[in-house]
Amino acid sequence: MKTKKLLGILLASLLVMSLLSGCSLFSGGKPADKIIIFQSKVEITDQLKACAKAYEEETGVKVEVWETTGDDYLQQLKVRLNNNQHPTIFSLAPGAESQELKNYLADLSDLNFVDKIAENMAHEIDGKVVGIPYTLEGFGLVYNKSLIDASKVKDYDSFVQMLKDLKDQGVNGFSLSSESYFLIGHILNTPFALLDDPLDYINKLVAGEVKMQDTEEFKEFAKFMEAIREYTNNPLEVTYDKQCGDFATGKTASIHQGNWCYPMFKDYDIDFEMSLMPFPLMGNDKLAVSVPTCWFVNSQVSAAQQDAGKKFLEWLYTSETGKKYLMEEFKFIPVVEGMESPNLDPLSTAVSKFAAEGKTIGWPNSNWPAGIVDVYLQPVTQEFFTTNMSGEELLAKLTDAFVQAGNK
Amino acid sequence: MYRKGDNAWYALFVLPLTLVFVTVVVIPFFIGIGYSFVKWDGMKLNPMTYVGFDNYSRIFADSGFWTSALHTTIFTLASVLIINLLGLAYALIVTSRLRVRNAVRAVLFMPYMIGGLILGYIWQFIFSDMFKNLGQLTGWTRVFFNWLLDPDYALVAMIVVTTWQLAGYIMIIYINGIQSIPDDVVEAAKVDGANFWQTLFRVRLPLLMPAFTVCLFVTLSNCFKMFDVNVSLTGGGPNNATELMAMNIYSEIFLLSNYGYGQAKAIIFFIVIASITLIQVYQTKKREVEL
Repeated sequence: MKTKKLLGILLASLLVMSLLSGCSLFSGGKPADKIIIFQSKVEITDQLKACAKAYEEETGVKVEVWETTGDDYLQQLKVRLNNNQHPTIFSLAPGAESQELKNYLADLSDLNFVDKIAENMAHEIDGKVVGIPYTLEGFGLVYNKSLIDASKVKDYDSFVQMLKDLKDQGVNGFSLSSESYFLIGHILNTPFALLDDPLDYINKLVAGEVKMQDTEEFKEFAKFMEAIREYTNNPLEVTYDKQCGDFATGKTASIHQGNWCYPMFKDYDIDFEMSLMPFPLMGNDKLAVSVPTCWFVNSQVSAAQQDAGKKFLEWLYTSETGKKYLMEEFKFIPVVEGMESPNLDPLSTAVSKFAAEGKTIGWPNSNWPAGIVDVYLQPVTQEFFTTNMSGEELLAKLTDAFVQAGNK
Repeated sequence: MYRKGDNAWYALFVLPLTLVFVTVVVIPFFIGIGYSFVKWDGMKLNPMTYVGFDNYSRIFADSGFWTSALHTTIFTLASVLIINLLGLAYALIVTSRLRVRNAVRAVLFMPYMIGGLILGYIWQFIFSDMFKNLGQLTGWTRVFFNWLLDPDYALVAMIVVTTWQLAGYIMIIYINGIQSIPDDVVEAAKVDGANFWQTLFRVRLPLLMPAFTVCLFVTLSNCFKMFDVNVSLTGGGPNNATELMAMNIYSEIFLLSNYGYGQAKAIIFFIVIASITLIQVYQTKKREVEL
C-alpha cells in the first residue's frame, strides 16, 4: 500500500512539473504588451536598457533586454530559438550568419523608414529587406599620428620602411593580436575585398578552381605577412587588451583594428592624435567599411509580437528619443537619412569621412564559410607565426582551409 | 533482512535520480544516435537530410579528428600516470606521522576546488608572461620561454595543469584506501621484519587495489573528456597542436554548425571511452584481493 501511495505522490509531482514547464511554451501567444530584445553588442547593453525604459514610458509597451557575454552570442541565440524561448528582435552579422538563420527572419520591407536607409546598407535576402543596419564600422591601421605620417605609407615598400625605421627607434611599428579575427580574420579581408568580384572568388576558392598562391593580391598579402613576422613583435603573445594598451602608451605605432576599439583607450591619458588609415596592400587607399550587425525581427513569434517588434524599430530610427539614443548613447554612425551624430570619436570620424568620400571596400569576410576563422584560419596563422614557413606555404594552407571548411 | 516498507524507501531515493538521469542523459543519448545519421546545421526550421552511415565513413578521412585523437591519447596516458603516482605519494605523506599533515592535505586538495576554466586562465599567465620574464631574468631561456607557443611544450603545459588540479582529489581516494588497511596486517609485517618498501609493495599496495580501480577510472575518463582546461589554457593552439577530441567535436558542432557529423564523432568518442574504461575496471577488479 505504502509503495503505491509514494508512487502516486511521485507521479503527481511529475505531472505538476510537466504542467509548469508546459506553460512557458505558450507564452509567445499573449497579446503584445511586451517585446524581448537579444543582441550581440555588449558595449551598448546598459544604454539599450535605458532606451527600453524610455520606450515603455512613451508607448506603454514593455521591452525586456536579454544580456549576453558576447563571445558565444550566436550559440546562445541558436539554443534559444530551438527551445521556444523566442526573442522578438535579435541581431546577427549580415552574411553567412543571417543566411544560415534566414528561415527565422521576418520581412521588414514595410517599415516606414526603409527607403531612407543609405544605399546598399539595408540587408536583403531573396529581394526582401530583412535586416536593419546598426551602424558603420571600419577597420584598417589605427595609427599614432606623432609616430607615423600616413601620407608616406602607401604600399609594400613604404610599409616595410616604416616598420624598420620604427624598430630602430625601439618602437613596434605594427601589431596584430592573438584573437582569431584580430589575428587573421580582418587582415585577410583586404586581399579579398580588392578583387573584382570577391563573392565569385570565394565560391571558386571553395570549389578548388582558384588558388590564393596564384592570385596577385594574395601574393602581395603573403609578403606583408612575412614582413610583419620579421619586423614586429609576435602577435600570438599579444592580447587585444595588451595591443590597445601598448598603442595607447606609445610602445606600438599602429594596430590593425577598427573604430570599435576607441573605448578601450578611455583608461589611458593619451597625449597624441590618432586616426585610421587603409591597409596599404597593392597601394590600397580605401578603408574596409561595412555594417557589422543588423537588427532582425523573429518570424517565429506571433503576428502581434512581430508588429510590436517592427514598431519598436520604427520608433528607434524615426522618433526624436530613439534617434537620440542611437546617436548619442550608442554612438552609432548614421546609416539612415535625417540623422546626425554630433560628437564622434576620432576613429569614427575617419570612418564616416572615408564613407562620405566613397573610399571604401567591403567586408567579403562575412561571406566566408561559417566558423572558418576560428576553426581553420587561426591554427594556420599560428603555425605561420611560430615557424619559418614561407608566405607561399601560408597561402597554400589558407587555400586548403577554405576548401575544407566550404565542403563540410 | 527484508522488510515490507523497504521497496518504497528504495523508490523514494532512487526514482528521482533515475528520472533526472533518464531525461538528461539516456534520452538525449538515443536522440543523439539518431542525429548522427543526418546532415543538419542544428536549426529546427532548416532541412535535415538522412545520409545513412555517410557521417561515420567521413570520419575515417578526417585527419583533424585523428590528430586530436593522438593528442588525447598522449595527454591521457601521461596525465593518468603522473596524477596517480603523485596522488599516491601525497596520500602516503599525509597519512604518515608528519606534523603538518592536515595543513598539507588541505593545500594539496585546494586546486581541485578551483574550476578548470579559471585554472586554465591563471596558468596561461604563468606559462606565457611569467615564464618569459623568468627566462629574461635568469638567462635560462631553454627552460623558461613561452611554453604555450611551442606545440610540444603546450601539451606538456596541459598535463602539468591537469595534474595540479586532479592529484589532490585522487589523493583523497588513496587516503581512504590506506586508512581502511587494517593496522594488524601492517604490524604483523613489521614484526616479521619487513622494511618500509617491503611493506609498501607486498602488503599495502595489494590491499589498495580497490582504490586503484576507482582512481584509474576517474582519471582515465576525466582526462579523455578534458575540455575546460583545453579551452582556457591553449584554446587548442598553436596550430591545433593541443586540440583534444572533446574540443574537436565542440568546434565541429557549435562553430562549424555540422550537428550530424559532429554527433557521429561524439558517438565514436563515447564508444572509445566506454570500452577503454570498462576494460580497465575489469582488469583492475580482477587483481583486487579480499581480506
